[in-house]
Amino acid sequence: MSSPERTPAVRCDGLTRRYGERVALDAVSLTVAPGERLLLTGGNGAGKTTLLRVLATVLRPHAGEVAIDGHLLPRDARKVRPAIGYVGHEPLVYPVLTARENLELYAALYGVGRERIEQVLELAGLDGRGADPAGELSRGLRQRLGLARAMLHSPSLLLLDEPTTGLDEDGRERLRGVLAAHRGAAVIATHEPDWFAGLEHGRLRLAAGRAA
Amino acid sequence: MRAYRALLRKDLLLELRGRELVPAMVVFVVGALVLVRLGLGGERLAGGTRAATGLLWVVVVFTSMLALVRSFAQEREHGIWDGLLSAPADRSAIWAARASATFLFLGVTQAVALPLFWLFFLQDGRSPSLAVLAAALALADLGVAMLGALLAGLVSNVRAREVLLPVLFLPFALPLVSVAVRMSVDSIPPQNGGLGALQGLGFLALYDTIFALLGWALFEYVVED
Repeated sequence: MSSPERTPAVRCDGLTRRYGERVALDAVSLTVAPGERLLLTGGNGAGKTTLLRVLATVLRPHAGEVAIDGHLLPRDARKVRPAIGYVGHEPLVYPVLTARENLELYAALYGVGRERIEQVLELAGLDGRGADPAGELSRGLRQRLGLARAMLHSPSLLLLDEPTTGLDEDGRERLRGVLAAHRGAAVIATHEPDWFAGLEHGRLRLAAGRAA
Repeated sequence: MRAYRALLRKDLLLELRGRELVPAMVVFVVGALVLVRLGLGGERLAGGTRAATGLLWVVVVFTSMLALVRSFAQEREHGIWDGLLSAPADRSAIWAARASATFLFLGVTQAVALPLFWLFFLQDGRSPSLAVLAAALALADLGVAMLGALLAGLVSNVRAREVLLPVLFLPFALPLVSVAVRMSVDSIPPQNGGLGALQGLGFLALYDTIFALLGWALFEYVVED
């Protein structure tokens, strides 16, 4: 995986995360090198989403060590957030706001210029739909909007949770294009690992919160 | 500052398009004042202007609860918290924008409530000082909005949040509201408030300052899972 002299894009060492009494991640260790794309596989409830949310700095690790670009979480979360592009289960957008208004909000949160908004709308195949309320877009188009939101600030680490869900052929091709062009690292949770053939550098299977 | 402005714009747009809060707050405040007027007799209300002024504050507090229990509802219902929390902007901007929006919504509601209050209850020439009442309302609204946004963030992922929020909010809001009521009542002639009103305003400003600092410093941690 990573060469010894390069700081890993992601390093987890004994990462444990609980929800109340339930252990969602149990001493998971992994390393992702800069530029590497790692697929997370495993059944429902295996811990994939929890792992991505910890890496996205949304959840605190309860035990173990997690570092992004050498910065420890949660201590250095503020330093690493600008480097992370996160696509969750939901597209993380307000249904009442238009696609463009949602992107304007996130552009302000990431300190990105407004000119980038048109670029990511085009990247996601949403040019012409920017004035539509996000809630009126189809499931697949909302998923594309989520991808556009995550790419706004040109992140060096992509965290994608089932990114192919709801996407049609054109959407999938655009996702493939985004991943192929992305020079940074990526951690992708998926139930369709075969679809990522040629894009992945490694796989980690989770089962009941443990690396299997 | 750019993040704060964008978040406030978002909160105002959500209300403008969704019309979830302000219409409900206005209907509630009008309904409550009409009920009191019809049920208890307006200017012949036992206790007169003093009791009516106290009732106005009861209505204000319960109207504010309507706004607070729906705080962050969109973020919760559509899973948007993860998007906001993973962004590099200072999380306190989320709190500040929410508090500012709530403050504005309360202001709109009270712009409807105050004329009705005057019309229904204050026809005997004895009324609280408008300046004192307006200043008390503005400072109390600010405190309610800042405290409420902090507590709404705290309970946003709790299952029984609609019950828990008022239980947490009311004890913290009690000092604020009791001082505001006292100031308003003491400004009714033949009393003129005077020094007491200034002391009350000073207390409300201190309360607001404390919750401004607490909200700014703590919001990052109260929304962390």
